[in-house]
Formats: sequence, structure tokens, C-alpha cells
Amino acid sequence: MKRPALLDDPKRELWLAWYATIGFYSLYTVVFFIITRTQPPGKPWYSPNQVVGWFAGRHEDLLIGFALIFILGGLSATSIALITYSIRRMTVSRAFAYSYLILYAVSAVPGFLFICVAMTVGAFRPDRNPEILRWIYDLGFLSFSGTMGVFLIGSLIWMLAILLDKNRVFPVWFGYLNLCNGLTEVVVAPSWIFHAGVFAWNGVIAWWINVAVFGLYTGAFILLLRNMILREDFGTGPMPDLPPEEGRGHMLAEFMAP
Amino acid sequence: MRRTTGELIIFWALPGVAIIWIAAFFLFPGFLPPMSPQWSAQKVAAFYVNHTSRVRYSMILFNWFCVALIPILMLIVERMRGMAHRTPILRYCVIGVAGAAPIAFLTATIFWLLAAFRPDRPPALTQLYNDLAWITFSCGVPFLVALCLFLAVAIYLDEQARPVFARWVGHFNLLIAIALVPAGFAGLTLTGPFAWNGFLSFWVKNVAIALWLVVMALVLGETIGRDRLAEQASA
Repeated sequence: MKRPALLDDPKRELWLAWYATIGFYSLYTVVFFIITRTQPPGKPWYSPNQVVGWFAGRHEDLLIGFALIFILGGLSATSIALITYSIRRMTVSRAFAYSYLILYAVSAVPGFLFICVAMTVGAFRPDRNPEILRWIYDLGFLSFSGTMGVFLIGSLIWMLAILLDKNRVFPVWFGYLNLCNGLTEVVVAPSWIFHAGVFAWNGVIAWWINVAVFGLYTGAFILLLRNMILREDFGTGPMPDLPPEEGRGHMLAEFMAP
Repeated sequence: MRRTTGELIIFWALPGVAIIWIAAFFLFPGFLPPMSPQWSAQKVAAFYVNHTSRVRYSMILFNWFCVALIPILMLIVERMRGMAHRTPILRYCVIGVAGAAPIAFLTATIFWLLAAFRPDRPPALTQLYNDLAWITFSCGVPFLVALCLFLAVAIYLDEQARPVFARWVGHFNLLIAIALVPAGFAGLTLTGPFAWNGFLSFWVKNVAIALWLVVMALVLGETIGRDRLAEQASA
């Protein structure tokens, strides 16, 4: 069997992590927006009986969708690893890189696993007392949107690293986009208080604006991580500019370029 | 003192920790045989009334010691430094899942302990805690699956004359990752091999985890021994 060219690429580990990142965020989007339809989220003002109806309308979808996350959700670590690597490449203390790594690694359980467990437990016994089912529904949505601090502090750490960096690993504008992402975690806090309106967990501010910022932010950093890999010279000084098209030699990533 | 001396202390704590894990497994009355998801709320509530102490003691043990997996994983991460990799990406990937893997299980122990805290509450509430515990325990495999996949890739890419871990250890990790997959589907059914007490979701998954610990401990011990010899030779 012919040895794949990727195996002889000195950047193979970076590319593998980058493709896994693409895979993870695609899975995430498909499971939350298409299969389970837990995004956009259910209404926080639903009565217990309406919550029963909400679960009944997507019984199999919740169980199958979140089973996919139970199997592949750990691949989220690949984007965290790449971002940690990007910070290590900057002219800042390693404390920034390790802080980011730990913050995002621990966020996985409350910010991600809890909603999968809650929605699975909810769909698991549809004949449960409606009040209890609503308790599970609240646990799912609020743990998901209401796990805030790890993403807030994580974004600020990454922002600070980018703004202090002299190696030009990430553009300054993306440093400020981190601030926007951090702010979404601030304005989502009222979803712990309001059952309806713009600040509720499905509201214009706490959901629609936040999801737009998060989508833009995620799309931007996936492309910028790709550029970082293309520019990486494995040195410790300033990163070179993006090489010209013909000199890159990584076909699949080229294909996915904007 | 040599660097590997501290590592050997952590390494040799593993058999002691493993004895506690095994003891806690047998002490918990809901594992042999595993509780059925088909039990009525009344039967679940009666289970916690009748076995309150054993649930508490076994889950306190697990709560204390399940995170003892983390230092073991860090010994593996330190070995990964010797791999013929260009970047630390795969080490960061392993560190990224090393905490969440046992914390997912720790969360399950909290639900089990809550179920046993007031067993005289309305049965439907005890059943809720029991479901949360079992689903977290059974389906909470994403970080373990990713851990095995990351290790397999790291081992395959460690292309040098004397790789840190032999190639078959990579195949082995891939196999364990596959064995853990069915447990992710435990929420889909109350009966059969995929149910949380079923052949695949309970037996295959937990035997795979135990086997992973034994095999990885053996290859880790061998590798630490080799590093220690190299340290002595260069001293």
C-alpha cells in the first residue's frame, strides 16, 4: 500500500488535529441544530405538560443525536490542543497556554456532558411525572448555556496572549473578537433569572446574538488555525506570512480555503 | 534523586488503587448483577432503602479514588515526550481529556450518593437520581474513547528505531476505543445488549476499561524501567 503523503508532512500532527476540529464542529452543528433540534433551544416558559410534548416530539432524535456526542464528543480536545499550541508559539508565558488548556478541558463536563446526560435521561422515560421532566429540561438547557466562567476567562486569556504576542501568530482583530465571545458569556447570565424575554435562555440576546457571535468566532479561529499551520516554520521568532498558493502543498486544506 | 524515582512511586501506587477500585466495584450492590433499567420506581427506591450503607461506602471510595487515574495518565503523557513527534499537539490532546474522563465518573458517584442520601423520598425522585447516575456512568465514555484514539495516533506516528510504545499498543488502544462505543447508545433501550445492564454497554465496556488499565500499566512500567536505565547510564 502506498504511504499517504500526509505521513511525511512535518506538520502532520497539526493537520490531523485541524481536520478532527472540523469533524468535531460539524458533528456538533448537525447534532444540536438538525438531529436533536435542541438549538434553537426549547422555551423556558413551557409548562410541565408542554415539556412532555417537547420531549415526545423528538424522542428518538435526542437519544440518537446525543449518543453520537457520547461517542465522539472527546474530539473537542483537538481544537483546544491546537489553540494551546498557538499560544505556545506566541511571545507570552506558558502560563497562558496551560490556563487555556485547563479551562477548556474542564468546561467539557458541565458545559457539554450535562446537557447530553439530561436530555438522554429525559427521553429515556417519557412517562415520568411532568414536573420531574421539566426539572431535567431545565438542567439540560441551563447547564449548557449557563456554564459561563470557563469560556469567559478562557477567551480573555487567549485575547491577552494575542494582544501581547510579538510573533504575529494571530491577527489583532481576532484578539478583540475574543472579547466579543467573552461578552456573550456575560450577557447570558440573566438566563439564570428570566423565564421569558430577550435575556431568557432562548431570547434575542442570550441566544440569537450569542449564537451568531459564537458561530463567527468559531469559523474565524478554524480558518486562522489553518493559516497558522500553513505559516508555521517551527521557529521561535515572528511567524512568516502565508506562503503563496503553489508553495503550500496541502491539497485538502487548500480545497477548503475560502 | 532521579526524575523516575517519583514516577515509580506514582506507578507503584497503581496496584493499591486498583485493589480499592475492585473492592468498591464488588461492594456496590448494583453492579453484580447490574441493576436493570426496567425496574419500577418502587423497586429502585426499595433498593436504596435496603442497601443504603453499601451504596454509600462503595461510592465514597470511587469518589475518592477514581481521579487517581489522572497521575497515571500524566505518566503516559511524560512518556509521550520521547515520541518522534514534531509538536506537542497529541500530548495536549491527552491532557485535554485526562481530567474529564474520571470527572464524568465522579459525577455519576455524586448521583448515586444523592440517591442513597434520603432513600425515603418519593420513589420517582430516587429513580431520577438512579437514572442520572447510570446514564452518566454508562454513556460518559467520550473522553475515554478520545483518549484511546489520541494514544493510538500518537503511537502510530512515533516512527523511530525504538518507539516509546510498540505498535501493537496502538492497535490495542484502537480496539478498546471500539469496545467503548456501544455504551454511548445505552440511553436508546431498556433491554438487550445495548441497555445499561446489557452485554455490550456494561460488560464489554467495563472489561475493556479494566483490560486497558492492566495492559497500559504493563507497557508503562516497562517504559519507565527503560527510561530509568537510560538515566543511570547517563549519570
